[in-house]
Amino acid sequence: MDFSNSCSSFSSSSVDSTKPSPSESSVNLSLSLTFPSTSPQREARQDWPPIKSRLRDRLRGRRLLCRGDDTSLFVKVYMEGVPIGRKLDLCAFSGYESLLENLSHMFDTSIICGKRDRKHHVLTYEDKDGDWMMVGDIPWDMFLENVRRLKITRPERY
Amino acid sequence: MALRLPSKVLEHILSFIDSNEDRNSVSLVCKSWFETERKTRKRVFVGNCYAVSPAAVARRFPEMRSLTLKGKPHFADYNLVPDGWGGYACPWVDALAAKSPSLEEIRLKRMVVTDECLEKIAASFKDFKVLVLTSCEGFSTDGIAAIASTCRNLRVLELRECIVEDLGGDWLSYFPKTSTSLVSLDFSCLDSEVKISDLERLVSRSPNLKSLKLNPAVTLDGLVSILSRAPQLTELGTGSFAAELKPEAFSKLSKAFSNCKQLQSLSGLWDVLPEYLPALYSVCPGLISLNLSYATVRMPDLVELLRRCSKLQKLWVMDLIEDKGLEAVATYCKELRELRVFPSEPDLDATNIPVTEQGLVYVSKGCRKLESVLYFCVQFTNAALITIARKRPNLKCFRLCVIEPFAPDYKTNEPLDKGFKAIAEGCKDLRRLSVSGLLSDKAFKYIGKHAKKVRMLSIAFAGDSDLMLHHLLSGCESLKKLEIRDCPFGDTALLENAAKLETMRSLWMSSCFVSFGACKLLSQKMPRLNVEVIDEHPPKTRPESSPVERIYIYRTVAGPRMDTPEFVWTLHKNPEIGVSRLAIK
Repeated sequence: MDFSNSCSSFSSSSVDSTKPSPSESSVNLSLSLTFPSTSPQREARQDWPPIKSRLRDRLRGRRLLCRGDDTSLFVKVYMEGVPIGRKLDLCAFSGYESLLENLSHMFDTSIICGKRDRKHHVLTYEDKDGDWMMVGDIPWDMFLENVRRLKITRPERY
Repeated sequence: MALRLPSKVLEHILSFIDSNEDRNSVSLVCKSWFETERKTRKRVFVGNCYAVSPAAVARRFPEMRSLTLKGKPHFADYNLVPDGWGGYACPWVDALAAKSPSLEEIRLKRMVVTDECLEKIAASFKDFKVLVLTSCEGFSTDGIAAIASTCRNLRVLELRECIVEDLGGDWLSYFPKTSTSLVSLDFSCLDSEVKISDLERLVSRSPNLKSLKLNPAVTLDGLVSILSRAPQLTELGTGSFAAELKPEAFSKLSKAFSNCKQLQSLSGLWDVLPEYLPALYSVCPGLISLNLSYATVRMPDLVELLRRCSKLQKLWVMDLIEDKGLEAVATYCKELRELRVFPSEPDLDATNIPVTEQGLVYVSKGCRKLESVLYFCVQFTNAALITIARKRPNLKCFRLCVIEPFAPDYKTNEPLDKGFKAIAEGCKDLRRLSVSGLLSDKAFKYIGKHAKKVRMLSIAFAGDSDLMLHHLLSGCESLKKLEIRDCPFGDTALLENAAKLETMRSLWMSSCFVSFGACKLLSQKMPRLNVEVIDEHPPKTRPESSPVERIYIYRTVAGPRMDTPEFVWTLHKNPEIGVSRLAIK
């Protein structure tokens, strides 16, 4: 499914047309440049429906948790080399950015996502299968479904 | 014999005229009226920061005390404007710092504001009182700290839905220990925790504090402590409303709220647990405005809360309220003026539809003062729209978003033409309209003909042909802002109605069929319009017929923009070939 914003399905013949095309009650769906209307679950878009980003992020992050009364997801967080860990409610965050900011604040150091860097601590997580993965590769709500615990690695590791 | 009013007399008369629309009319009467008016205008509003140069505004209004500026087009709220497009506050602040040192208030919407800019504001305006930033970005909490620490008489500091680089909660401690002037503080869009003791002290020494909006990092305990120090608040945005429920905590919370006898507006309520809602019951009878758009609470709990809000005029809520909940609103909230219902599951095809057209019909029937609606749902009917128009001819703002694009009337399978015709015809005072669902050109013929007072019109996934745009641009007498996305038309209607564009503030079209050639032609024909082609993925060569991704057209007396990024093409920048030099990403 092509969700790009470019008018790639545009046909040049209608540009110079001065005659209106016949008005039908079922609009030619190929005119839907960015939006095929049949989809069992719409792919998450950033520009439709027209709600502001803050609300959209909040809803995406919470979608899983709306189902029950369970509105928190506490996971353990360890900093490599530090025996005592912390506990964090991942539902308090709207996405990776706020998670990182809070962790950086909590552990008083800069922590990054995804990129291997000799200088910074990198955030990793253990998923449902028991594998250790780099945080940030998958959409936030998918991450919430898979994460079991977090580990902040030391820079030299990589 | 020419009769002329002495300027002192005229000045006195003008001191009674606040509305900028009226003042604009006054300034057109004759030169002397223009002069007197411009020397006495204190509150200046610029709806498009690129329509006029900062220097010209500063020069024209030497007594300016308050400036309101808007930058990016409205669709930027929905990520349709690429980052880096523009809307910079700096040139304005620079010009004002030089020419208007007595400036006291700055309100910016959808603009890029840097820390340097904020520091300049703090340093340049000795009596600075009000800073309101709505949907702005580009600054960090350091910039906020600069404002807090330097502006001795700061009364209002509001960050509404801004994107702020949050470097921590220290900024709050920068308010000097001697500052007591604060009337309104809104930091709800910040993520970091502020030191609760700093906040307590600030609140305690601010007897005039009427409006306080906390961020989600403020806990319930923090809230209780703050409320006990500021029982005079009229507007409150709570922090996070989720915490482990302890009986003493709950009763403390209830008591704190019941002591706030002047509370009229309530918002925040992030993650509110239904068990905590009863703590709010004591303030409900006095509430005029309630924003529950972050409260994922179910219908029964919402109804329990809302049935106590008999004075409510403004309600923002999630569609979890369901039709039944809206029926309760129609019964209990007879003073309702504004209703907004947001989607709780925006990305899914709803199989379980929480609200339908019936919910809005209930409210339209029961709430006689209803004049502003924003409603998200999955499908609608013509019959419902006709009923709403008949019951509420006093509607001023009607924004319906049927989330399923091209969704017809689900009972008759017809387009929603008849329904929107009823709205346009029946609601004679309509100033703002957003349409959605399946709509043919006919709908726009009706809107063009009948929506005489509509100033702002938003359209998505609609129409059959160029006729649609033609109907709108040749009708809609009061049209000032038109924004369109994913509609199948462009060139002909645009070029035929070019003159109309000079009577409007702006036109936005994205994912439509506007060709590059038409954009060039329009640019050449209309020197007082800025025509911007915004293409993030332009083709390597541009034939005249190639469609553009986005076009933004606005009238201006400031001439072409000098701060366009690579991906914005204007005739001024690329006159000969008109090929954007941006490499394809």
